[in-house]
Amino acid sequence: MDEITQPMVLMDQVTKSFRIADQDVAILKGIDLNVRRGEFVAVMGPSGSGKTTLMNLIGCLDVPTDGRYVLAGRDVTKLTDDELSVIRNEHIGFVFQNFCLIPYATVYENVLLPSLYTMKSKNDAAGRAVDLLRMVGLEHRTRSKPALLSGGEQQRAGIARALINSPELLLADEPTGQLDSRTAEDIMKLFVRMNADHKTVIIITHDPNIAGYASRIVRIKDGLMET
Amino acid sequence: MMRLIRILAQALMAVRAFKVRTFFCLVSVALGISAITVIVATTEGAFHEAYLMVERFGPDSLMVIAGSDEARAVGQRTKTITLADVEAARQAFTSAYLTAPLMAVEGTTASYKNNKYQTLIIGSTSDYSSAWSWPVIEGSDLSENDVIGLKNVGLIGQDLLRELFGTENPVGKFVMVKQVLVQIIGVLSERGMSPTGVNLDNRLIMPVSTVMRKIINETRYVTLFRIRFLDQENLGHYENEMKLFLRQRHALADDQPNDFRIISPMEIIKFLVALTGSLIVFLGLAGVICLIGAGFVLANLFLLSVKERTREIGIRRSIGAKKGDILFQFLAEAVMITTAGGVVGFLLGLVSSKLLTMVAEFPIYFSWKSAVVGLLLSWAIGIGFGLQPASRAANLEPIKAVRE
Repeated sequence: MDEITQPMVLMDQVTKSFRIADQDVAILKGIDLNVRRGEFVAVMGPSGSGKTTLMNLIGCLDVPTDGRYVLAGRDVTKLTDDELSVIRNEHIGFVFQNFCLIPYATVYENVLLPSLYTMKSKNDAAGRAVDLLRMVGLEHRTRSKPALLSGGEQQRAGIARALINSPELLLADEPTGQLDSRTAEDIMKLFVRMNADHKTVIIITHDPNIAGYASRIVRIKDGLMET
Repeated sequence: MMRLIRILAQALMAVRAFKVRTFFCLVSVALGISAITVIVATTEGAFHEAYLMVERFGPDSLMVIAGSDEARAVGQRTKTITLADVEAARQAFTSAYLTAPLMAVEGTTASYKNNKYQTLIIGSTSDYSSAWSWPVIEGSDLSENDVIGLKNVGLIGQDLLRELFGTENPVGKFVMVKQVLVQIIGVLSERGMSPTGVNLDNRLIMPVSTVMRKIINETRYVTLFRIRFLDQENLGHYENEMKLFLRQRHALADDQPNDFRIISPMEIIKFLVALTGSLIVFLGLAGVICLIGAGFVLANLFLLSVKERTREIGIRRSIGAKKGDILFQFLAEAVMITTAGGVVGFLLGLVSSKLLTMVAEFPIYFSWKSAVVGLLLSWAIGIGFGLQPASRAANLEPIKAVRE
């Protein structure tokens, strides 16, 4: 399989269980997921369905209990903590529900953050950060602290940060959960633009309006995919 | 490398952002380091003082004092060293380049016009100034003729000079000592206090013959003598030789104690160490306690900070920071603060030791050593007490951290 046709995310019978009060509780019970490069996928499901756990696995923040996960052609099922950090840094851009900006750093410094941890020696992050801030329409707020920004502005800074290391995959967990519907629309248009720019986008949401922006919807219920 | 520098920049940003934490950690470290700085400076000062004293005493010289502590305690006579002993020693020790007898008469009143002052009269030879490495800065030194001819001449110490003459030039003037008129022919340089608190500058040096005959009517015995050797490295050997030589001359049996005491530069160092040792131990203890206290303040504030910054740590981890990166950042924050504390502490130590020297005679000597010791200790605190909070931060699970 060459670069173009190999899937971005390939999950094969992935399970995840947690030990809660001396009992193994299975949250994911066998997920098969295939997201091709350039796809825009929404993962939907009621709360408690396991969609956040799935998102953590896709984002390499956690490892599966069983099964196999191949990200961009690389089997990441058995990687060490440090190797997973490198994967997260280079291949995945995270957008969080609560924006997750560092309060004492400026917007510009927040956008630069992932580039600080990159292992790649060549790194023109400063220039790219300026471009990205202009793209999301925050060029006038670069020196502000996040607390001075509106929710929509903070999320746009979050998206710029997710893009700084030019990852192939954008992963967003309820990115509009704390925004009003108009602002949410602006944010979703940004994701559509990113997708048009050949980024693979996976959005976790429970909101059908948001899921509507995706080209494919994957539903999850009780730790299993609905077909 | 660039990566580490970028993380250091993040640490610096956090140090500046969390001002209250930085302030309290810095102050507590600074207090501890300032105590340590004073201790190191005092220890160094003591050694420096010891070195100076040995230099002044003469690193190549022995001082033989008549009588011994044991003899004095049991009421035996303390007049044991004769002029003949000194002369015999001069001839026996061929590698000695200088041998000077000394007769001390304490509590004698010297007067000039209407000024009177209790002083120490010292009888010696023309070798006094060189035997004690104590230069004559005005007028002339005692000569051999002065000694042979029992001349009524003297060298005056700075303190006695001030008391009797004020600003007047004493050279050529006459001072009255026990109905003897003594002409001042020279002025000794300023010497200050001895470690036992005796003012060394209150003295009058006269020919030993004059003092013995005209002042106290003594024909044979002197208080002590001083002998300087060409080969300083064999001083320990000469000390033993001198002991045997005098015991033999005084015909002491094997079971009898020495009736004299030999003081060597080593003994001076021992004495000074004993004098300042307890002070250093006390200060050292205080400093160490201060530093441990500072360490706990740091560890506590950092643990609180890690808790407060759980989300930040989660964000950093999820966008690609490794555990090691987080550990490094928090350790760097701790070390940056303690380094600043170390610098402030050093300056504080500098100021407080200046204050200490104002209240009491205190041997303080600052060199690069106290700065280096302070810096190394402040790093040790930063790493030692910052490690636990930092590793706690590094081991936070990124998922939980971001969710909070």
